[in-house]
Amino acid sequence: MGNFIASMPSAIAQGLIWGIMAIGVYITFRILDIADLTVDGTVCTGAAVCAVLVVSGVNVWLALLIATLAGILAGCVTWFFHTVLGIPAILAGILTQLMLWSINLKIMSGANVAVPSRSYSVLLTQMNVPMALVFLVITAVVIIALLYLFFGTEIGCTIRATGSNGAMSRAQGINTNLTKLIGLALSNGIVALSGAVLCQYQGFADINMGRGAIVTGLASVIIGEAVIRRIGKNFAVKLAGVFVGSIIYWIVYQTVVFFKLDTDLLKMLSALLVAIFLGVPYIKKQLSGRRKGGVVNG
Amino acid sequence: MKKVLSAIIAVILCASFCLLAVSCANSGAKKYSIGIVQIVQHEALDAATEGFKKAVTDKLGANNVTFDYQNASGDTANCTTIVNGFVANKVDLIMANATPALQAAYNATRTIPILGTSVTEYGVALGLENFNGTVGSNVSGTSDLAPLDEQAQMILDLFPETKTVGLLYCSAEANSLYQVKVVEEYLAGKGVTAKRYSFSDSNDVSAVTTTAAAESDVIYIPTDNTAAASASIIGSILLNAKKPAIAGEEGICSKCGVATLSISYYDLGYKTGEMAAKILKGEEKIENMAIAYAPTTKKYNKTIADELGVTIPEGYTEIK
Repeated sequence: MGNFIASMPSAIAQGLIWGIMAIGVYITFRILDIADLTVDGTVCTGAAVCAVLVVSGVNVWLALLIATLAGILAGCVTWFFHTVLGIPAILAGILTQLMLWSINLKIMSGANVAVPSRSYSVLLTQMNVPMALVFLVITAVVIIALLYLFFGTEIGCTIRATGSNGAMSRAQGINTNLTKLIGLALSNGIVALSGAVLCQYQGFADINMGRGAIVTGLASVIIGEAVIRRIGKNFAVKLAGVFVGSIIYWIVYQTVVFFKLDTDLLKMLSALLVAIFLGVPYIKKQLSGRRKGGVVNG
Repeated sequence: MKKVLSAIIAVILCASFCLLAVSCANSGAKKYSIGIVQIVQHEALDAATEGFKKAVTDKLGANNVTFDYQNASGDTANCTTIVNGFVANKVDLIMANATPALQAAYNATRTIPILGTSVTEYGVALGLENFNGTVGSNVSGTSDLAPLDEQAQMILDLFPETKTVGLLYCSAEANSLYQVKVVEEYLAGKGVTAKRYSFSDSNDVSAVTTTAAAESDVIYIPTDNTAAASASIIGSILLNAKKPAIAGEEGICSKCGVATLSISYYDLGYKTGEMAAKILKGEEKIENMAIAYAPTTKKYNKTIADELGVTIPEGYTEIK
């Protein structure tokens, strides 16, 4: 039992790192109401850029910043495909993701770059989980605070309006093209940041890193919403909920691995987890609607 | 009704938790516990794991060792989670099968001995400058690198009139790129043009192979996991185009190649297991153990060689 508890801190650390990515997914999926599949590629881009820079001797904070900028660029490309070329959002995201595969390979000059904490000064590492947790919690709080302030500004509100009702926003004079650009760029910048943090934590950047990241992100968002719903509707609470959802997801993962359940079934288990978290509230709503005998409001 | 339901679920969860806790506590007398983390399900890697387990049970006795085998199903994030579980469980040794698994383990612990296997180049995998064959610290292992210059020479021995060689590999695999670079240099030194043909995953294999077959005299395929998985397709395309291939390992050769300088992944795993037994018994310290290699055999595929009309010289064994 003690060993199980001992495996939790690293699971929580992984939860916080992927929570940063999930915040990026939250911005496009919930706020902008766009299913942005670019994130699978952007995670690796952030990791690749950060890894290559750190190995070349660049200051690690600067490497994080440049990785975030790379993510912002990726978001701009998706925006270009979607808004200027008129390609549907999902497809635009997939196209950018495909492009990023090649770009990431070129950045890393290969499929993999090692950034071991023993040889380079990184900000956090799996070798020292308590310090990593301190760094990650501070990062999470800073991100939540900055986003809370940003989405309270006028531009932030126009982004929220665009996601809520695009046609009405345009009727009110909001430039929805601009808001989508800011939203996509911001989201992918944050996802790239999470990739950069992840590559430092696990000590390497690999071309296969981002595969299935969108599913992890969506799962975290949805689990978080289900858990936080009772606590409050405050935006900051919702953002914190995304981190909570991600931590829960990774604790479940670690539990499955720890109790030696068949790892082949891991992907099916995560899908079932998301299905349960989505399905149970929906069924509850259906049942309560039936009892009152009226139309169920969505 | 809702409250009763919640109460029942809570009781079931508690009960199962207690059962698990009890079963963990009853693990019994001191045994060596070895955690095996493998990146993906794959013939060669599976063979290495089998060889490893056999060697350890041969040397230590099946009753004195427990294996915790975990497969990351191709997901590098899983490697981190799996290794974290091993560290929390305080295993006595970690066997990391393939590069991402080794990297994850290397970054998770400085104290638990880590033996890598099916890793081609340790210096590249671990970001070590001036790698001299011994990693040191808590890491060692075995490498699946066959002497690449001998492999490249095999192309020239069997097909002396070769002008262009097509290097076919998957761009997502770091090991493949390393082998391709070394072979490319060797061939250039012998005055043969080598051109790279890379596919990003199993979907592009046909298209890229067809182009490579059309533009080259001979194809070279390194120890590439994706190529191994798609070897049958590659084989049909090459036979159609009547182009021969030299493969980096026996599995690929048996489906699409003429000859190979083969290592057996089972033997590689077995050698790793022998190293593990020495470390666990305290006979050797891991920081002093250099990376070990498996012995190589020249092998050829009779069916494909006959179909293409290639005469195989002395010294080659037939692949069964």
